[in-house]
Amino acid sequence: MKTLLIKTHEAWLEMLMAGFMSHTQNKQVLFDFSDILFRHFTWIEHELIRTGESYDYERDNIPIKVSRLDDILKAITSRLLEIDLQLLGLEDKELAGRIKSDIDYMTGVLHRMNDEVVTAFSMERQFPGANLTDEARDALTLFLFDESYKEYELIMIYNYLKAHSDDAYLNRIFQILIDESFFHLKSFGDMMAKMGILAVPRVVMKELYQVEDVVQFLKDGINEELAAKEECRKLSDAVGHDSQELADFFTFINNQENYHIALMTDALAHYAKEGNG
Amino acid sequence: MTMDEMVVEHMMNPKNYGTLATANGEGMGKNPLNGEKVVIYIHVKEDEEKPYIDDIAFQAIGCTTTIVAGSMLTEEAKGLTIDGARNLVAATMQLLEKLPPEDAACSEMVALAIKAAVDTYEKRKEEADYPMITYQIANDCTPKEEEANENTAD
Repeated sequence: MKTLLIKTHEAWLEMLMAGFMSHTQNKQVLFDFSDILFRHFTWIEHELIRTGESYDYERDNIPIKVSRLDDILKAITSRLLEIDLQLLGLEDKELAGRIKSDIDYMTGVLHRMNDEVVTAFSMERQFPGANLTDEARDALTLFLFDESYKEYELIMIYNYLKAHSDDAYLNRIFQILIDESFFHLKSFGDMMAKMGILAVPRVVMKELYQVEDVVQFLKDGINEELAAKEECRKLSDAVGHDSQELADFFTFINNQENYHIALMTDALAHYAKEGNG
Repeated sequence: MTMDEMVVEHMMNPKNYGTLATANGEGMGKNPLNGEKVVIYIHVKEDEEKPYIDDIAFQAIGCTTTIVAGSMLTEEAKGLTIDGARNLVAATMQLLEKLPPEDAACSEMVALAIKAAVDTYEKRKEEADYPMITYQIANDCTPKEEEANENTAD
């Protein structure tokens, strides 16, 4: 079952990357499919927890550099077929049936999807509609690599915390934070693809999500959100002269961090009240 | 100075990122001020006249600059003998002396992690269970301007 988790993790990210590569109506379908695969990932994770099998979020590197969308769709289809084979060993046949049904449908749609030219790896580092200075371009590049990884890391951490918690109040907060990080990851990934620098976030180290002290994690997390706000503000200033659209976007992301801080503060207070800290 | 294509390539596809199941040496470089760290895994091939690093990997909790430094330095270290790896660390540290501390911190963390991995490997030849060695960096990656703001914030 651990292999099934790893393959599903890889397929989820590969499908998400394919969504970033697309310029057409395929994009939303690929994003929806990646969301479905993420849900499969959480179901398999729960099954591992239920059966007491140890697991982690390790995975292989995922090669995504293609020049045609068809190439990545074929790679995803092979991965989905590997998952299909792995399902034979899944004890929970009902769960296996649900995943199989989704995979059958998705592979059919991927097979019929129109091909596209992929420009997400051109390395041009130009943002459409913005004439950025070299300094602003470098600042934006560094920000996108740092923050796209950070959002993926947060998704994995909150997902792990949620999977190992029975507290409905906390799980509601964790789920909102996961959703918010997904939105940010999708926004940053789309920008990276437009700039020709799309990349899969690197594997998250175990010690980050296998959190031993949740209270300390939340306190550190609030400080990191404050630092992220500062980064957004700096970036908004750096690109403000060249693109009002980008400046507005980073101000919007900056303001969203306030909401995350409020949620994490709420989670901290809940921990204190429940005596978990 | 603007980013060149090679640096962006290391950002997009960091070389040697991950763990190494066959590692016979591991080491950590750590920034005590912000918790950032780099772990280097090496496999030293010993059935040669001069043992050399035939495989290397790294993982990091850190920023993109750390990942680029890890990608570049592990590529440099691959294929080096133990003495060669020590020379690489020494040469890197010498280069870093010329940089402002905030620019040097990430590469220093990687260089010290390589040194720690080599030292752990050598210790394990005498004591198989020797724990992974950790070295802490001397440079701080907080830019001086920000540090001044933090110190005066209250």
